[in-house]
Amino acid sequence: MTDEVRDDLKYTESHEWLKEEGEIAKVGITDHAQSELTDIVFVELPEVGKEIKKGEELCVVESVKSVSELYAPVSGKIVNVNKKLEDAPETINESPYDEGWLVEIEVQDKSEIDNLLDAESYKKLI
Amino acid sequence: MAIIYTCLIDMAYRSSLHNIHKELKARFTVFAGFEMPIQFSSIKDEHLAVRRTVGLFDVSHMSNVWITGEAAEKLISQTTVEDAAKIEDKKSQYTAFLKEDGTVIDDTIFMHLGDKYMLIPNAGMADTVTKWLNQKAEEYDIGATAENVSKDYVILAIQGPKSRDTLQKLTDTDLKTVGFFACQYIDIAGENCIVSHTGYTGELGFELNITPTKKAGDVFHKILDAGQEFGIKPIGLGARDTLRLEKGFILAGNEFKGGRTPLEAAMSWTINWEHNFIGKEALLRQKEKGDYERLTSMKCLDKGVPRNGCEIQKDGKKVGIVTSGTMSPCLNRGIAMGYVHRDYREKEEILDIIIRDKPVKAKVVRPPIVPKDWASQN
Repeated sequence: MTDEVRDDLKYTESHEWLKEEGEIAKVGITDHAQSELTDIVFVELPEVGKEIKKGEELCVVESVKSVSELYAPVSGKIVNVNKKLEDAPETINESPYDEGWLVEIEVQDKSEIDNLLDAESYKKLI
Repeated sequence: MAIIYTCLIDMAYRSSLHNIHKELKARFTVFAGFEMPIQFSSIKDEHLAVRRTVGLFDVSHMSNVWITGEAAEKLISQTTVEDAAKIEDKKSQYTAFLKEDGTVIDDTIFMHLGDKYMLIPNAGMADTVTKWLNQKAEEYDIGATAENVSKDYVILAIQGPKSRDTLQKLTDTDLKTVGFFACQYIDIAGENCIVSHTGYTGELGFELNITPTKKAGDVFHKILDAGQEFGIKPIGLGARDTLRLEKGFILAGNEFKGGRTPLEAAMSWTINWEHNFIGKEALLRQKEKGDYERLTSMKCLDKGVPRNGCEIQKDGKKVGIVTSGTMSPCLNRGIAMGYVHRDYREKEEILDIIIRDKPVKAKVVRPPIVPKDWASQN
């Protein structure tokens, strides 16, 4: 089974994905990451309104046996979080690129997005 | 994303069934170059298979030690908290070895098999236990010998409400005649195995000790085939850990790794005070003083997953530490075991478990955290 990598997304080396939607960037973890973690049982989301810098801890995802930190792929303000994950964290396993998104960030500097990996480069990484 | 914490389970070891596990697409946990399956499909699915129907574990990382000699019984009585004279032939018993200061060296099952005993110490403990026993046999002039035979055996555990029905298809012995904590030699799938009606999951189950190890692969496959009609799954160490934690069973390396007595580790029920054993005086002194921390089970009331090392607080003051924690697959709640100051461990006491600097409310419960009839109720 190969992990899905979508062409319209940007990626980080630490397995976050980012989708540009105007001024807003939607962020989640990749199919590869969720399949490595397996059964996700808990997600700790940040507060809406929080300012975050690229590379800082964004949220925490826990599987039965592990705890992982996610890092902000870009700097900006958190404008929305996927509250559904608090009651249904397994959504990340089921739909990492759609229903299982984590946060929306109002992007400060769009050039940070350009510096992320494209699908081809991310495929090579995994 | 970066993994910042991973539970370490037991000590890893490469089983003679390694290639079979690989064919079954196991993920392995690697430790010091040794590997055991941590999961095959999903820890949650495997966990629920054992609670609802049946699962098959390779637990060959556990040790096998024979005690032989005319005074084998005496050696066990001297070195464990159990009086082996009380354990009849064909019976298994859970017990612990203590140092003179009362602290636990290891916990073990011993099986009384005619004129000898087989011990099942923890992973990586065989040499320590064997050496200790032979040293004590000499010191107390007891005519018995311990021999580490771990490499000669594969240990399989078949656990779950359908475990007996599965195994029954592979033997002519009526398994209903093998009571809880009974053990005997039984032909399973054509191989003569030491079978013990015991387990680490809180479910109906059996543990099979198979030698020579090259015969074990065939038995493993035949059990999987026999259990197919019940939806049997191979189970990794991940689910083994969550299953035992829901029942409040302790794990060597987590709940004790030197320095804890059986009174502290909630093992006082295993102590037979009516006989003399190494460590007894120290335990009696501790019991009289009474001011020790005790291992306590907890169930989270808020969201969050407690992990080994999390501090336990009451009104902002440290009163304990978590030794094992996980998300309970049955309850969908965080559950934990930890050492708690004796003033704060009464049933229903509400404590704070500190997870990433935030308090998560948890209630003190008496194990099992998940009751016996969970599967029939859910």
